Amino acid sequence: MNSSVEKNEPCQICEFQENLNILREIYFFSVLPLELLKVFAYLCTREKFKPGDYLFTQDDDDGQAFYFISGQADLIRTDNGEEETIRAYGPGDFSGALSLLSNTRKLFSLKATTPLVCLILSREKFVHTMNQHPQLMESVFQAVIEKIHGWEELFIAERSAGCNACRRKIGVSLI
Amino acid sequence: MKKEPDSVVKRSLFSWVLPGNVHLQISLVGLITLTVFARVLPLEMQKRIVNQAISLRRLDLLLYYCGIYLVSVLTASGLKYIISILQTRISENVLANMRKDLFAHILTLPLNFYRKAQPGMVVSALVTELTTAGTFAGLAISSPTINIFTLLAFAGYLIYLNPLLAVISLGLYPIILVIIPILQKRANSANKKRVDSTRVISSLIGEAISGIHEIQGNGTFRMENRRFGKIVDKMRQIRIVWTLYKQGVKVTNNFFVSLGPFVIFILGGYLAMHGKLELGAMVAFLSAQEKLYDPWKELIEFYQVYMDAIISYKRTMEYFDVPVEYAIAPEDREAYQLEPSIDIKELSYTTDTGIQLLDSINMTLKPGEALALVGFSGSGKSTLALCIGQLYKYTSGHILLGKQEVSELTKEDMVHNMGFVSQSPFIFSGSIEENLMYSCAAVHDREDGDGGVPTLDDKIAVLHQTGLFADVLRFGLNAILEKSRQEHLAGQVVHVRENFHREYGERLADYVEFFNENKYLRYSNVAENLFLGAPNDPAFSENQLPQNAYFLELLGKADLVMPLLSLGGELARQTIDILGNLTPDPVFFEQSPISLDEWDDARLLVDRLHRTKLMQLSEEDRRYLLKIALRFSPGRHTLVALPGILRDLILEGRALIRESIRKDNPSAFSFYQLSDYIYSQTIMNNILFGQTKTSNPKALDMIHQSIIQLIIEEDFLETIVDIGMQFQVGSKGDKLSGGQRQKLAIARTFLKSPRIMIMDEATSALDNKSQTRIQNLLETRWKGKSTLISVVHRLDIIKNYDRVAVMRAGKIIEMGAYQELIDKKGALYELVGGKK
Repeated sequence: MNSSVEKNEPCQICEFQENLNILREIYFFSVLPLELLKVFAYLCTREKFKPGDYLFTQDDDDGQAFYFISGQADLIRTDNGEEETIRAYGPGDFSGALSLLSNTRKLFSLKATTPLVCLILSREKFVHTMNQHPQLMESVFQAVIEKIHGWEELFIAERSAGCNACRRKIGVSLI
Repeated sequence: MKKEPDSVVKRSLFSWVLPGNVHLQISLVGLITLTVFARVLPLEMQKRIVNQAISLRRLDLLLYYCGIYLVSVLTASGLKYIISILQTRISENVLANMRKDLFAHILTLPLNFYRKAQPGMVVSALVTELTTAGTFAGLAISSPTINIFTLLAFAGYLIYLNPLLAVISLGLYPIILVIIPILQKRANSANKKRVDSTRVISSLIGEAISGIHEIQGNGTFRMENRRFGKIVDKMRQIRIVWTLYKQGVKVTNNFFVSLGPFVIFILGGYLAMHGKLELGAMVAFLSAQEKLYDPWKELIEFYQVYMDAIISYKRTMEYFDVPVEYAIAPEDREAYQLEPSIDIKELSYTTDTGIQLLDSINMTLKPGEALALVGFSGSGKSTLALCIGQLYKYTSGHILLGKQEVSELTKEDMVHNMGFVSQSPFIFSGSIEENLMYSCAAVHDREDGDGGVPTLDDKIAVLHQTGLFADVLRFGLNAILEKSRQEHLAGQVVHVRENFHREYGERLADYVEFFNENKYLRYSNVAENLFLGAPNDPAFSENQLPQNAYFLELLGKADLVMPLLSLGGELARQTIDILGNLTPDPVFFEQSPISLDEWDDARLLVDRLHRTKLMQLSEEDRRYLLKIALRFSPGRHTLVALPGILRDLILEGRALIRESIRKDNPSAFSFYQLSDYIYSQTIMNNILFGQTKTSNPKALDMIHQSIIQLIIEEDFLETIVDIGMQFQVGSKGDKLSGGQRQKLAIARTFLKSPRIMIMDEATSALDNKSQTRIQNLLETRWKGKSTLISVVHRLDIIKNYDRVAVMRAGKIIEMGAYQELIDKKGALYELVGGKK
């Protein structure tokens, strides 16, 4: 059944194999069957960024998801012309699940602070592929919903106790 | 000619038979008369050959009668052929007319219809369902005529030979007419049961296959087998009955038809013995009896075609029998030029199922005013826009455009006065330019002239306005110049190249892989790497290379044949392995050297590859593998890695190949040189003298910006844009991004420059910059010129509209200037606050 395993003699450690291993580690993709992961591993591309390059900018809908292979980037929020660095992204981080699912404007900018290599998948590719297996969207949504839940649970436990203003606004898992 | 009924869907099947085919049908009847005569004549000749020529032993008569016999047989066959040609022409005429008329009708059906209609159903109706109806139309007059005439002629001839014998032998046919329909009815009902049972069995098999893990996990093999066995047994029974009846029809028919000769032998024999029937007449009788069978069979077949045709025709027409809501064009006047005011009174819209989407809407807009419609999703704002745009038919109340009731205007009146940009605009296959002209086309698509057709400047202006200019320019830059037609541009491009390398070369080096004789180019393909040149001789074009003996010999010398074949094999295998379970889609093929249209062949090849060794493949297969290997570029096709050894072999091969070509066939290639234009590469790559390495939009943007600057300096920006406008957008515009499609839809409406513009969330897929640009444009360029209704979901762009209407549950609950409504602290205030 699985012909790729036995027939890949000349394929040395190619990007495709590495991409596949990466996708299997990402919560958003790991719920999908291997056949589909292979398609995504094939469709995603690697991009290099230089320090100062923007991966995406606030208010734009770039329609991409990123996985950080190496390097660092800062998440920045700009309000009234003032930039505030929220946190840093680094190797192993994944961002952009919601961008894959629908048109959404980014509320932040992401700016490379060191030379950076990312694995990128566009919404167009994701949607075209998932359209052929609509029944699998259910597990993708499940994964995202669990992630949002988990995120809020952690936030309540760790952070919000000291911040009264935050506490009033929590409840994103109730939307 | 009679006046045609109003609607194509109300026409009867027979109404198609004559219109447009009168001449053909008349000639057909004439030919049929001749044919019948030519069919009967041989019978008479048979009789005379036996009675006169043979019994009187006269050779001259024998030859004479045989001659006539031969001529009439030849004539009959020839005529039959001509008749079938005419029948085919009639069938195809009718089919074409049906398709055209039905398609025209389908296009005018209300949008509501398409919410339920499946595109597949429409396709199969137009493509397959109507064909039997067409076939029938070809046969409708000719088949019964020819066969009944023939039957009557034979019968008449038989009566002329011997009335008693004729009446008795023909008497068999009425019996057949009674028995066969009874059997056929039973066969039909058995057939229906068979179809049903097939459906049951397929769903059972389907379930067993998809639930196979449960069956194996629970070990319910025996249970499943019993379940399956029961249905199979039932099906067996049904199939037997069905076959019995089906065969029964055949056997009965054959039986009665073959009873004919029996009657003739027994009765005719008796009569002949007593000298009341000549031997020749009996021979003629026998063959006439036999020949009766063919027209008889054809008549029965015709009956079946008729039954099928009437069913599929009726079903098809009933499906599309939906009243058309608006006339296409006014009959007795020119299209109105309406004053662009909008006056809505007590407007309501209720769906077929009784859900009220709009409820007593009242509002007026003066010419040139701009209105923003806001509210939550489902509040009815899009519905209102669609009603004003005549895309939905409102159920009560009035919408007056320049004092004319919208529901009474024709489509032509609407397109002359209104532009509508929908939420998810549709782009048709064709070039950017064709799509840009799409809205204008309907206005200018009249026989009486083409005044006011947009110029290139107009088109460029709207491209600028909508922010599509940069995209179109990019398409232009990615085009390949034709040496024969566009040679004059080449010099300019080379000039830009020099400036580019001087001013930006170093800065952009990270994003570009420059052509370099001494390096392997990861973003160019293997063929380009082998030559680093543009072929002047078509025999060296990329598609021809695998067949080019000289090239193959060079590959052999460079020890590259086997490695490249095996690379090709690996590429094919990997692509099929990854994409094999998907329905092919252009998106999937951008990163593989295999193209979409080769997909099926590639799959079969990979199947063969699993069974045989590379060297045992056919010549053709090996050529194909070589072709995809030559297209492979490791920077883009990351599904397979380029082994270091192969890379070095190709680099060595490059030196060898270039040297050999220089020696043997120097005119075959123009090798890449910084001073020459390269005709095999895009304009962009020519300027770069290399290939971009990145697909990062921001980096690409930087490269484009620098190039645009240089092109403006050289003054051929417009030329490139013009080339870019010829870019083919693909089916449904799928080579464009969502944003580009939306910009194109806005651009085509701007180009038409309508008096009334309706934009239904027209900028929702655009990035911030483009959205702001278009908003500014609406507020400056179009302000006062067009009356604008904008359905808006982002509230930060509505401040400068003359009026804002807030909708909730199908009603306008608040309307006024933005600031006025904010100060009032009502619904808009809440909506804006709620968004923050």
